[in-house]
Amino acid sequence: MHIPDGILPAQVCAAGYAITGLATWYSLRQINRKPDPTAEIPKASLLTAAFFVASSIYIPVPPASVHLILNGLLGVVLGYFAFPAILIGLFFQALVIGHGGITTLGVNAAMMGIPALLAYHIFQSRNTVGKMLKEPTRTGVFSFLGGALGLGISALIFLGLIIFNIPAELDAGAERAAVLTLSIGHIPLAIIEGMFTTMLVLFLRRVKPELLEG
Amino acid sequence: MRLNLTLALTLGLAGWALPAIAHGVTVEHRQVSSVEISAQFETGEPMANAQVLVYTPDNPAEPWQQGTTDDQGRFSFTPDASQPGSWEVMVRQAGHGVLTTIPVADPASENSASSPGTEADAEPNSLISPSTGLSPVQQGITIGSVIWGFIGTALFFARGKR
Repeated sequence: MHIPDGILPAQVCAAGYAITGLATWYSLRQINRKPDPTAEIPKASLLTAAFFVASSIYIPVPPASVHLILNGLLGVVLGYFAFPAILIGLFFQALVIGHGGITTLGVNAAMMGIPALLAYHIFQSRNTVGKMLKEPTRTGVFSFLGGALGLGISALIFLGLIIFNIPAELDAGAERAAVLTLSIGHIPLAIIEGMFTTMLVLFLRRVKPELLEG
Repeated sequence: MRLNLTLALTLGLAGWALPAIAHGVTVEHRQVSSVEISAQFETGEPMANAQVLVYTPDNPAEPWQQGTTDDQGRFSFTPDASQPGSWEVMVRQAGHGVLTTIPVADPASENSASSPGTEADAEPNSLISPSTGLSPVQQGITIGSVIWGFIGTALFFARGKR
């Protein structure tokens, strides 16, 4: 789902950097308000490594093949640390693995990072919206929603970005059909990542519940 | 998904030697040099039915030729030899794409060289890949170092306050 260099016009890339700049500033400010801002860095750093590696893990979803993103998982577990984590992870992915690109780093970070922050808020709303559910179920359901919707919203933004930026000289119909096929492949991926998030969160809840307080 | 675009420059590819003289039809043949590209995803899966745009060196704004790759992700075209220079080929599908440059030699210099010589000249062009050009071992070491950087950061901040 990474957008490589040379696909989007320069204005869109610049807008992506502007949005990413704002979101980074906002996330860092939220982190700085915590009593101990560095306390969660180990957790964030390890999950950045997981995010960095995840994009090399391909899951064949006929007819396309999609790879893990894990942005919803990062949002659920890390909170506001997720945005800088995704930005750093994407930077190294662009540099080392060749996923995405440096000019589109801003667009990609906004596309994956902002849904991650939404996933965090979805997960945090478990104590207000999901009051009627019993405790292990409540955490399980909301972590699934966070993990799945974080990815789903990113896939929708990707779809929108590509469809509204098809160069005039391309056959728009064929390109649109190809993007739609790829996006439909992200529905099973969203379910997989949702389940993965649930498993991790329920595991953390059992062994180290303070990690989920964030 | 990253793309690996490998180019095979096929020289002297097309030659129609059809003996056909009937009902006043004449068929002439000449040998032209074509370029065949083959596009695949990083997983090795061919980019089937991807759109291909070919741009001349003089006009990078308007495509000179358009087409789609076949089931194997291959596409071939015959560059206009009167426009030597860097031809650009864009392969694009579902928001994944790559722009690659194919050098096309000046026909004047091509004529002066003998036929096998031309083929040897084309050899360095036969594998143009826009990827970083790292070997799998180098890439593995780089990825390992990056991961170790993250783990090291985690360990550094995990040692707690003293």
